[in-house]
Amino acid sequence: MSKRSCLFLIAALGASPAAAHVSLETKQAAVGTSYKAVFVIPHGCAGSPTVKIRVQIPEGVIAVKPMPKAGWSVDVVEGKYTAEYDYHGNKLSSGVKEVAWSGGKLPDKHYDEFVLSAFLANSLKANTTLYFPVVQECETGVSRWIEIPAEGAGHSHDSKSEGKSPAPGVKLLPKP
Amino acid sequence: MRFFAALATLLFAAGFASAAWAHAALVSVEPASGSMLAAPPKAVQLRFSEAVTPGAIRLIDGAGRARDDARVSASGETISVAMPADLPEGTAVVSYRVISQDGHPVTGSVIFSIGTPTATKPPAARDGGLNMVIWLARVGLYLGLFVGVGGVFFARWIAWSMTGMAVPRVTLAIGIPCAAASVGALGLDLLGLPPSAITTAAPWKVALATSAGPALLVAVTAMLLALVALRSAWYARAVALVALVGVGLSLAMTGHAATAPPEALTRSAIFFHGLGVAIWIGALAPLMTLVSRPTAATLPIVSRFSRIAALAVGVLALTGLALAIVQLEKPGALVATRYGLILSTKLVLVTGLLALAALNRFRLTPALARNGAGAHALKRSILIECAIALAILALVAGWRFTPPPRTIVPETPLAIHIHSDKAMFQVLVSPGRPGVDDFVLQLMTGEGTPLAAKETTLTLSLPERGIEPMERKASLGPDGYWHVRKVELPFAGRWHVRIDALVSDFEQITLEDELDVTPP
Repeated sequence: MSKRSCLFLIAALGASPAAAHVSLETKQAAVGTSYKAVFVIPHGCAGSPTVKIRVQIPEGVIAVKPMPKAGWSVDVVEGKYTAEYDYHGNKLSSGVKEVAWSGGKLPDKHYDEFVLSAFLANSLKANTTLYFPVVQECETGVSRWIEIPAEGAGHSHDSKSEGKSPAPGVKLLPKP
Repeated sequence: MRFFAALATLLFAAGFASAAWAHAALVSVEPASGSMLAAPPKAVQLRFSEAVTPGAIRLIDGAGRARDDARVSASGETISVAMPADLPEGTAVVSYRVISQDGHPVTGSVIFSIGTPTATKPPAARDGGLNMVIWLARVGLYLGLFVGVGGVFFARWIAWSMTGMAVPRVTLAIGIPCAAASVGALGLDLLGLPPSAITTAAPWKVALATSAGPALLVAVTAMLLALVALRSAWYARAVALVALVGVGLSLAMTGHAATAPPEALTRSAIFFHGLGVAIWIGALAPLMTLVSRPTAATLPIVSRFSRIAALAVGVLALTGLALAIVQLEKPGALVATRYGLILSTKLVLVTGLLALAALNRFRLTPALARNGAGAHALKRSILIECAIALAILALVAGWRFTPPPRTIVPETPLAIHIHSDKAMFQVLVSPGRPGVDDFVLQLMTGEGTPLAAKETTLTLSLPERGIEPMERKASLGPDGYWHVRKVELPFAGRWHVRIDALVSDFEQITLEDELDVTPP
């Protein structure tokens, strides 16, 4: 294959639907409510089966509880929040910062979902997008779904400004 | 002839004995030119391809002040410039002028920024005044060597008559002071001194210590001997021959070409090239006088010269070709470099000269022999030959200022500085031209401290030519910078550069900018 046609092919693959990204099933949620985050893993890393999913919990997402998953063990990393949050009258200053599912094996040709439940703190700003960076570890290779568009750039109509491995995000709506 | 053979052997031996590469080239600089540094470097190290002598080395600091407290130490091919401790933030420039083994200065600048880049620029090239003096002195020297010494040789060995010695006498009188001026100007050039410093000893000492010093001394000796040979004495012929050999020797002792490897070949080629030029060009002025006042003796002289000139031209062509091959390395350099352009122009002029010489040899000389006619035409033809020869000498003197393509080294790499509040990345691209390039990525935080990254990825695209993003992983070098080697940039144009630095598992910093790659 010539170099040029190779480039065309790469361009064509790059233009394939956004569904190929790791994403959140529920695309929007209101601040000050509970949020069930369902991470959709559409494929492995360049054909290699997925063996670990790590999710970083963004600031302002509190009371995180991962849903256990058959065949996978779940671990959490706890730490201090940068601010103190009000959760049903309690002050929370620390909690889950990272959730990891590991020990399973998700072949590239299969699809799966990883779920956690959380509360979106009142102090989160509505009409912004909240990103959950995800690191997908595979038998060979790693895919990092961690790209967060620079502020302002996210509203661009130019599809090129979206990175090739964006972090899954949820649009925050004003408190009902 | 046996004498020449012995001499050639000697030159060969001399060539083999000194294995040094000619015309020093800068091999590496630490820190790399264009670097962004968090703290002032202790020293700037310049490593060359051969041992060099430091000439003038200057430091301009980030505040734009010329500093005189940078200590220079040299050992072999490395020159180390110790930086003052109080170097302020901003872009600093170290400009260097070192003397390479062919006696020519090699100059350049190393630019690096501490903290943030500022607008410090390398010092502008010196005014052309000194270069003009160097060039004029060289033209005068060539006149003395070729027209002067060559003319005397012609009178003593070919014409056996002292007719038409006025021009050689004058050119010898010009050539000797010009040789002295060459030494002085070379010294000023090497040290980067103003013309007023010519009265001090420093430039003379430095110039005489280079290979050009002894070469110019030999040239002066050759011209003095030619003056001696002008007098009628029993030893005049021998002295004229020694003077001619001196011309070849002097040329073979210094310069780009003489020190080009393989020296055994280039030095002997220069030697014989010089002899050929002196024999041919030297004959022109006396010949013209002979032809303008034809006597019975004129015809045999002209015919004799005609035969010898043919031999000289053959030698010139052969040695010239050998030298051109060594110096240019590829034919494209004939038009692509200034050195090559001078050579191309010279070749055009030489072709004209050869055409005239052929006309003289095959038409005008036989005509003169048949019926004594055409002396006027022959004279005119020789006059034009003289003019062309002078133009060639003036042109060739310009080679002093153009490094041969063989020694041309990549210049300061292309550098771009990408800045956001989170980070600043300095990207160095060498050679910064279409083709295969090496990238050095220097990552810093917004405050200018080194940014530790787990992984760094370089992504390049050229939308205007439809080149989609090509991604390359960088590798962390021992110098603390990220390197991506041998990146293909197939076209010139405005490349889009994107750098992703993974600072933690979940966080990466991405900066993007445009990189203008200009055609070569």
